[in-house]
Amino acid sequence: MSDRLRRWWTTLRVSYWLGWQIESNWTDPFLFFIYSIARPLGSALILVFMFFVVARVRQGPILGFFIVGTAFWPFIVSGMQGMAWSIISDREHWRTLKYVYTSPIPYRAYLVGRALAQAASASAAMLITLLFGRWVLKVPIGLATIDLPYALAAFVLGITAIIALGLVIVSAAMMISGEAWRMPEAVGAALYLLCGAVFPVAVLPGFLQTVTQGIPLTWWLEAMRRGLLGSGTLRSFAWASDAQVLVLLAVSTAVWMAIGLAVFTLAERRARALGILDRESAF
Amino acid sequence: MSVQTLTPARGAARTIRAMLGRSYPRIIGANRERSWLCYDTVLPLLGTVAFVYVYKALGAPERFIGYVIMGGATTAFWLNVMWSMAAQFYWDKQGGNLELYMVVPCGVPAILLGMSLGGMVATVLRAIAIVLLGSWLFHVDYSLVQIPLFVLVFAVAIVALYGLGVTFASLFLLWGREAWHTANLFMEPVFLVSGFYFPVSALGFWVGMGASIIPLTLALDAMRQLLFPSVHPGLLPVSWELGILVGLAALFIVVARLSLKKMEFLARREGRLSLRF
Repeated sequence: MSDRLRRWWTTLRVSYWLGWQIESNWTDPFLFFIYSIARPLGSALILVFMFFVVARVRQGPILGFFIVGTAFWPFIVSGMQGMAWSIISDREHWRTLKYVYTSPIPYRAYLVGRALAQAASASAAMLITLLFGRWVLKVPIGLATIDLPYALAAFVLGITAIIALGLVIVSAAMMISGEAWRMPEAVGAALYLLCGAVFPVAVLPGFLQTVTQGIPLTWWLEAMRRGLLGSGTLRSFAWASDAQVLVLLAVSTAVWMAIGLAVFTLAERRARALGILDRESAF
Repeated sequence: MSVQTLTPARGAARTIRAMLGRSYPRIIGANRERSWLCYDTVLPLLGTVAFVYVYKALGAPERFIGYVIMGGATTAFWLNVMWSMAAQFYWDKQGGNLELYMVVPCGVPAILLGMSLGGMVATVLRAIAIVLLGSWLFHVDYSLVQIPLFVLVFAVAIVALYGLGVTFASLFLLWGREAWHTANLFMEPVFLVSGFYFPVSALGFWVGMGASIIPLTLALDAMRQLLFPSVHPGLLPVSWELGILVGLAALFIVVARLSLKKMEFLARREGRLSLRF
């Protein structure tokens, strides 16, 4: 392993550990578990009751759509928003950004490690939501419907896409100091609306449907539904085959990763030039 | 250059002056930061629009879209109460203001009253914006005939809600990072049990009654009954819900006063008032 790669790996590992400690050590493991699953399960149940009051039946293909969407959404919230919040909290709250940034580590690896730690905290929520869907709501997720290689490939690409979008948001957070902490939440809310997280994008107005196709997370959620629920799932893009969805996910992820890296490099240079990299304002 | 000086005030005059002073940054000051206006209105609206599209995907009748818009406006109040009331002392600890609040002669209750007043006024404006924008975007018709009763339910609910906010603020006084996470925890689970996006009666009578400890549950149900008469499946008759809301308002005001005293004492004794992390 080259020296550069080894430094990347070490930084990633240590920042992952640091991120995990920040995320979880404010309470005991049991309470942390409850905290991790309460919000996603709450979200899933809101949708389930919305379905019940309208459909007045207990089952339907859209339940599977809701369950997979709400199971995987916390990865986006934790990973993408979490990456931005890690830079904001280092700068504004812990006031350690200047020390981390000037230490001899690759800063991108540090941010990716923090994002992965945040994303890992969403795993329990994902698992519990899927189990709840399977055993309580009788959503057809099982060995017969799961295409494991497809779902795994989609999952890895999805996490990569989350990191790519996270880099773009981190870049914006570097440049806006005052209200940076609310910006990731706003982006998350917009993506919740645009990515087909809880409804098929076909119900959106035409121009928004075009926008959704440029976001890798739309393809990720579609691919996860196809990988876990099989052919019986409700689809956002009925015209696309499973392979096409995966290819479009890979292509859009690659494009956004290139954009993310380029934007991050520019923002980092600009923030250093303006002397605002560690400018505090929130507290 | 002349400096305006205020004569020292005592008693109720001092409390009112402190209250107005603390509410000023929330009503006037907050509007100077344009991004706050945008975030406070657009963020709940984006979530609301997402749920509107869920109902559209389900082929729901039009009144459900009205339910969601009302729920979205209510979200603005809940966000304000949890983040700007309950967790406010956590932010104030970080900024070093909490120690100042503790030593000023008006006392903490006046500060909390000011925070409540400022939060109420600012959030009412944002909630109105959400309802107007949402109703305009999705062409929602309301058939509100009992306007005075609607306003009364709303006003009593807001008093009860901010009473709950002050109670939470005093509980959160002891906490560090837990405050942030607890406020975070009280989002979707509360939206669920309070029926923000569907009629609370769908959860069953006793679950609905249990959730009524959160004033927004009965307030939303009563307001929906008044906005969509004869079609909304109410949990209780509006007059009963109003009566319970009045009781909750009185209860939370008393509980808030007692818990603030107790928690302030504990926080001073355990040295947590200035503990940042």
